[in-house]
Amino acid sequence: MKWVWIIVTVLSGAFGDLVSAKGMAVHGEIDDFRPSGLARILRYIVTHPLVFVGIVSNAIAFFSFMALLSVSDLSFAVPVTASSYILKTICAKWYLGERITWRRWAGAFMVAIGIALLSI
Amino acid sequence: MDRKSNLKNRIFIAIVVLTNAAGNVLLALGMKQMPDFDNVSVMGYTASLFTNLWILCGIALLIVWMVAQLSMFTWADLTYVLPVTAGGYIVTAILGKFFLDETISLARWAGIALISFGVILVSETPPHDTGGDPS
Repeated sequence: MKWVWIIVTVLSGAFGDLVSAKGMAVHGEIDDFRPSGLARILRYIVTHPLVFVGIVSNAIAFFSFMALLSVSDLSFAVPVTASSYILKTICAKWYLGERITWRRWAGAFMVAIGIALLSI
Repeated sequence: MDRKSNLKNRIFIAIVVLTNAAGNVLLALGMKQMPDFDNVSVMGYTASLFTNLWILCGIALLIVWMVAQLSMFTWADLTYVLPVTAGGYIVTAILGKFFLDETISLARWAGIALISFGVILVSETPPHDTGGDPS
């Protein structure tokens, strides 16, 4: 059961971030932070299908991580699910068309390993 | 990236990092005050979740975190935002030490150092990089 929760957490977390990033990217750079501008951003976030699906998917990741914690230790759950940084980096290249330079690769690996070390 | 966008980007990194860390610590503080799950009904447990001030403040901060991170995606790449805002893990570890009496072991210090290097490396790349595509 442990591995089911790990797979659900990593996949739904990566999927959620990728589609919500895509949904926000098509909006174009936000520059208006007056109350009316903030209200527009909030409306966009809750009504844009990709962003909305992304939030739901991230919520699934959150709850399956909670379920994972109920069957395993934090020091196991966090390092294993930190691997999602690598998956997100790979997927961002083909789904979002991002150019992954060596600095971005190194950064993603350092952060993933660093998070794993933090939980030991 | 012009100076105004650069400033906006930095402010948002700070908001994402701080609201995520503070939100997590408040949630953890609130959860420690919750009744043991086995001893109360589901309704009773839910009721004490949503009447706990720490938990409510933690949820509010995490909503701000989510909106701020989503906003960043309108001008920055996913592979920029995620590593650069990972500094939140460091802040959470340090807040945990002071507010939750958690210890920072040698391995944790190594983790903090590694995340810091990762943040610095990625923060020196342009936030939006599509390989010379002018769009």
